Amino acid sequence: MKRMAVAALMLALPFAAFAQQWKVDFAHSALTFTGTYQGERFEGRFKRFDAKIDYDPAQLASAKFDVTIDIASVDTANAERDQALPGKDFFDIAQFPRAHFVTTRFRKAANGEVVASGTLSLRGVAQPVTLAVKFSQAGNGATLDVDTTLKRLDFGIGSGDWADTSMIGNDVAVHGHLTLTR
Amino acid sequence: MPLRNTDTRWGGVAQTFHWLIAILILAQGAIGLTMVDLGMTPTKVKVFALHKSIGLTVLALALLRLAWRLTQRVPRDPPMPRWQHIAARVSHVLLYVLILALPLSGWLFNSAANFPLEWFGVVHVPSLTQGLDPTLKTWSLRAHVVLFWILIGALTVHVAAALWHHFVRRDDVLLRMLPDEGRKSRTGVLR
Ligand code: HEM
Ligand code: HEM
Repeated sequence: MKRMAVAALMLALPFAAFAQQWKVDFAHSALTFTGTYQGERFEGRFKRFDAKIDYDPAQLASAKFDVTIDIASVDTANAERDQALPGKDFFDIAQFPRAHFVTTRFRKAANGEVVASGTLSLRGVAQPVTLAVKFSQAGNGATLDVDTTLKRLDFGIGSGDWADTSMIGNDVAVHGHLTLTR
Repeated sequence: MPLRNTDTRWGGVAQTFHWLIAILILAQGAIGLTMVDLGMTPTKVKVFALHKSIGLTVLALALLRLAWRLTQRVPRDPPMPRWQHIAARVSHVLLYVLILALPLSGWLFNSAANFPLEWFGVVHVPSLTQGLDPTLKTWSLRAHVVLFWILIGALTVHVAAALWHHFVRRDDVLLRMLPDEGRKSRTGVLR
């Protein structure tokens, strides 16, 4: 049985290689988000995250993104806010130190844009999420830009007293920019 | 009461500015000192926003007040020793500086800390810095607090002087900063 599994793996490997595994150049990559607070937009980012990117625009069936985010690395350029965000009312990192996103399916929309569907687990809530995917390859490198908009309340971020969306907007636009190398 | 100042009294505009700003500043001090001890709740955020909005209002009123002041004659001081004329000038200049510098330092702190700033939630007020500036943040907060206590000190002298004029010297200095209808000048020179 074990031998068969190994054999199957060896058979599958050359195909898996088609999906093109990329290395992420984290120094030139960023996972950012834009929210609203008291009627003003603010930018934040997660300074530490890990991403496994298998992607070939010609082989969408075998593409896969698997991203783990270290929530404690959140930075919104405001000390008071950054102190509040890891707390129980918001990300609650004591219980949920990491968020995880993994794709389930890629497809090409009618307008030619690639859309990835996946599941985001954040603060103990797993929700389906779709990403707009833009990929451009140049020589041995590539850049990958993904966008989506999440609703913070879907994940219980800032619930209770902080649920008031006139103070903290519900929509949070998330943007990932990855510089990839082979 | 005339709107403009005369040689003997402050006009309605100057008085309105003076008392409105006085009330707002005292409210600001009370709000400021209380709000910093609130727990991190939406209420705290709202009270902070109120403090900033009132503070910016004071700044705008202070600028308008100064502009008006420059177009006006100023009531003559009652006869008094030279040092008291000087002390009055100096303390009034200091008070003008403080009612401008105090809200400005708050605005600067708010900018350096990268907090939002919406005047009563309706008008966006631009930041004075390019986002976060930790050094400036520390110093502008110190300035905000120190300026506040300097204001309290100056105000104590200011109020004491006003009361001294009124109750000890029994001249018109306080009366001429008050609406006068039905009130009598003590020296016969008001209006
Ligand atoms: C935050 C509070 C206050 C500020 C910032 C303030 C500021 C000032 C300033 C700058 C002047 C000079 C006006 C000018 O030359 O254009 C003035 C005049 C005056 N203030 Fe105040 N004041 C405050 C509170 C008070 C209070 C509580 C009293 C009374 C008890 C008072 C009584 C007077 C009087 C009587 C004058 C007229 C002085 C004169 O005719 O020469 N002020 N105030
Ligand atoms: C008339 C003007 C103002 C007065 C009398 C005033 C007074 C005060 C006082 C007494 C405090 C408490 C300081 C402490 O003990 O820690 C304070 C804090 C504060 N003020 Fe003002 N303020 C004024 C205007 C402003 C303006 C215009 C802004 C912003 C646009 C502002 C922003 C703040 C902030 C953010 C704090 C909290 C500082 C902290 O987090 O410790 N203030 N103010």
